[in-house]
Amino acid sequence: MSTTVRPRISRMIPPTVGRKSLLSESWRRRLPLLPALLFMILLTQVPFVMSIYYSLTDWKVVPPGPRKVVGFDNYNQLLDDHFFRSAISVSLRLAVFPVIAALVFGTAFAVLLDRKFLGRGIVRTMLITPFLLTPVVIGLIWKNQMFHGLYGVINWVIEKLGGTPVEFVSQHPTLSIAITLVWQWTPFMMLIMLAGLQSMPQDVIEAAKVDGAAPFGIFRQLTLSHLRPYMELGVLLGSIYLIQLYDQIAVMTGGGPGSTNVPYYVYQRSIGGGWEFGQASSYSIVVVIASIVIATFALRVLSGLLKGEAAA
Amino acid sequence: MRGTVRATFIAALFAGLVFAGCGGGDNGGGGSGSGSINVAIVDNPQMKDIAKLTPSLFTKKSGIKVNYTVLDEGTLREVTTRDVAAGGRQFDVVMIGPFEAPQFGKDGFVTDLTKFATSDTSYQLDDIITPVRNALSLDGKLYAAPFYGESSFLMYRKDVLKKAGVTMPAQPTWAQVADIARKINTPQMAGICLRGKPGWGDLGASFTTVLNTMGGTWWSAKPDGSVDKAMVDQPEFKNALEFYVNLIHDAGEKDAAGSSFNECLSQYKDGKVAMWYDATVAASNLEASDSAVKGKNGYAPAPVDKTPASGWLWSWALAIPQTSSQADKAWKYISFATGPQYLKEAGSKVPGGWASIPPGTRKSTYEIPQYKKAAAAFAKPTLDAISAAPIDNPGTTKRPGVPGVQYVGIPEFQDVGNQCTQQFSAVIAGRASIDSALSNCQSVASGVGG
Amino acid sequence: MSAEAGTATVGERVWVNRALGGLAWLVGLIVFFPVFWMVLNSFKTEADANTSPKLFFTPTLDEYRHVTESAGGLLSFSEAFTNSMVIVLVSVLIVLALAIPAAYALAVRPVHKWRDVLFFFISTKFLPVVAAILPVWILARNFNLLNTRLVLIILYTAINLPLAVWMLRSFFAEIPKELIEAAEIDGASLRGQLTSIILPMAAPGIAATALLCVIFAWNEFFYAVQLNPVDGSTMPIWVTTNVSTRGDFLAKLSAASVLACIPVVLAGWLAQKRMIRGLAMGAIK
Repeated sequence: MSTTVRPRISRMIPPTVGRKSLLSESWRRRLPLLPALLFMILLTQVPFVMSIYYSLTDWKVVPPGPRKVVGFDNYNQLLDDHFFRSAISVSLRLAVFPVIAALVFGTAFAVLLDRKFLGRGIVRTMLITPFLLTPVVIGLIWKNQMFHGLYGVINWVIEKLGGTPVEFVSQHPTLSIAITLVWQWTPFMMLIMLAGLQSMPQDVIEAAKVDGAAPFGIFRQLTLSHLRPYMELGVLLGSIYLIQLYDQIAVMTGGGPGSTNVPYYVYQRSIGGGWEFGQASSYSIVVVIASIVIATFALRVLSGLLKGEAAA
Repeated sequence: MRGTVRATFIAALFAGLVFAGCGGGDNGGGGSGSGSINVAIVDNPQMKDIAKLTPSLFTKKSGIKVNYTVLDEGTLREVTTRDVAAGGRQFDVVMIGPFEAPQFGKDGFVTDLTKFATSDTSYQLDDIITPVRNALSLDGKLYAAPFYGESSFLMYRKDVLKKAGVTMPAQPTWAQVADIARKINTPQMAGICLRGKPGWGDLGASFTTVLNTMGGTWWSAKPDGSVDKAMVDQPEFKNALEFYVNLIHDAGEKDAAGSSFNECLSQYKDGKVAMWYDATVAASNLEASDSAVKGKNGYAPAPVDKTPASGWLWSWALAIPQTSSQADKAWKYISFATGPQYLKEAGSKVPGGWASIPPGTRKSTYEIPQYKKAAAAFAKPTLDAISAAPIDNPGTTKRPGVPGVQYVGIPEFQDVGNQCTQQFSAVIAGRASIDSALSNCQSVASGVGG
Repeated sequence: MSAEAGTATVGERVWVNRALGGLAWLVGLIVFFPVFWMVLNSFKTEADANTSPKLFFTPTLDEYRHVTESAGGLLSFSEAFTNSMVIVLVSVLIVLALAIPAAYALAVRPVHKWRDVLFFFISTKFLPVVAAILPVWILARNFNLLNTRLVLIILYTAINLPLAVWMLRSFFAEIPKELIEAAEIDGASLRGQLTSIILPMAAPGIAATALLCVIFAWNEFFYAVQLNPVDGSTMPIWVTTNVSTRGDFLAKLSAASVLACIPVVLAGWLAQKRMIRGLAMGAIK
């Protein structure tokens, strides 16, 4: 636990004894939570249970046929499906690397923006814009304006520098998509890091400087350790959103080896042409279970995010 | 102060919910208001043209308001298939093609239009070009009315070929075309533009016609028309794929693995490719008044190998879902959109002029004097291509499913075609080997039928 | 609170500061370049836009005109804009209305298993949207909610609620316990505590959360196109109606995208300072 100037006090309020009320204490605590909780349970668990049911059937929408329960057939088939395995590998690559890259760039930009200079507000405004655009638009403008083999701006620059043009999206689909993701999510990380930098108590840094510590050492030991919880939040949120990535793949490559991730593969097997809802649902259930396992593990490691005492 | 904040918050919430409930106009039931229908169309320019003209040319006379939903082909297919198959009742008229029409007809998803068409005297059902009509029918019943039709042919720069001392034969073979392409190929101007973008309707369409005419097929068929065996591992398939890929590598356009109609169109107009094998409708773009290559183009029938003809056949046609409760209004609209009258009126009203009215559906279109004049360069080759499209027997062997040239008329072809063309596209991009792509494709295709 | 970070300390060389400032400008311009190019393309004709990159050309407003002219029957810009505005604003309000008490119950007077509850909320984001679409579509059809604004309001609330609960919980956890206990002793009810202490103190954090929810809801495309293709269609759908598979579309798309992104971009630009302050207030601790 890092030391801060303000001593950490317990923020949780223990139940007071002997308080007159209609409901027991624990129900009074639960009540404000219920609307949100019930709303989410209703809206997410019903589709989830339906998906589980479909995954146990052989339901095919076109051509229409009777739907019968086939137990775990779909799951057995899944184990042999090497396209599904490639999709998992692509999902991981398109989640892990862009998140880390966005974090690195975001932190670097935040450090740059943390000093006063002329026009800082404008630069910060320019830097957050990518995150505000619609992902479909991002995919289309990168594909048609920047990455285009003949008419793209990047290739125009490459040619001026004497190189040969690169067909980004055809030759390097994973990298091309990853670049647009980094471009889109770096502002998000940058904002979180800026918040972290701003909330850093200055007096500790001053003290270290007075003691003669080098700026880089200060950065490494004090700043980075203070920023750690912020980084963990960024990584958690970024990964959760990127695992579900769909829009950019649909508009930039239309799928294929190297760019079909699990959501896109599920889409292909269901409404994207396969119309095999039983099979597609089984893929999704596997993904959900895997995510729960990974997240449980990850959250135990990232304990800083759930700091707070257990309710007494 | 705080009380007013809270009150405003609650008021906003309430107002929002009221808005939300009554907002969004007609829902479900396909236009529950009096006299309005919901129509789903694809995002081609001809479709957008008619959408803009509908209020003045149709709504005024009939009192029926038309709500259009414009979607790209892929999303359109998702949304309309789900709507007709799972009874969403979102649309009264859906735009489908000859791939879906017979299958939806067989499955009972769309209404039989024959009696509507024959009892409507102004409709002139017999005016519709025969192969187009047959492709949209099953057992003599018409399930969708064609709005737009296309085949495929070879477009080439007459001036470039002349300069190289090459003549295009009247019915070229693929071998001849490949030779010409390699001969005229230069670093500044590629020999030929061929589709390479993944998708059963992109690379799949283009490649399947080549496959057909070279004696290959996706699946063999049992006598009853169902799927027998996947034939991706046969030598004919590999020959055709190798031919296609090598031609692109030797004389094809830049960024081929990402190129479909639009990309080739840009490159051709820009003078970056000398020949282009694609949809007949491209000609109306090439001969448009603002086209840099206007007047410089020749049009040859789709190249062949072992068959007499190999141009594809596609149309965008309007169908009525069985679940629609407004079949009569829907037919009135279909009669307007696909009848002969619209074609006669649209030419003077659409931005592209006479050359850009919906092509390839009716014989009478090709008799309209203004159209004959504006589309002189490509009208006859287009009509010839559509008429010659070998829809019932596109290759050298029998195929399963409903008739089709550039696709196999079984529902599984969408998924198999998508997955396989993704593999083939990677070969075109140089990221995969032909053998691995073929074996991946064979395993996907083998999952069908049997 | 910590002072506004970034003042150069005495003795630091001025040129280092200038150089770093210049570097920041360079980085900003490079990152912003694709957006700048998109805006530039929106003023070109299709012929100019679909060829080698041009910096100098005759600008025109034609494409803006093309995309905004309303043709009866087609989804118009104003219709899509109104739909998006209503859907996003209402859903974000509902999210806040649900998340604020929930965060209170997880941070200030926590329930026993608050960690598990938080985990549940975040786990609802593990089911891919493309998978959930089928059950959701079936439910929406059965309840006659297809093509209504209401269905998207409900779904966007469900999408954003976990994030909001997560973030607001951390902000509320920052509020000093003594203040709340003092209010309790004064006899304030839950509502009173909220309005007098918690909301004012957490206001920047709430603004930050609201802005993130607005961004995600405004730009959502998949649910919108699958459930509302006919009515109640939103801005992202309207943008894609300007794409064409049989013709050039880049200039039109650029013009449409500029128009579609303006509201959220403006909101983001105006609120960025507040958002950073909000996040700094203790998104994490």
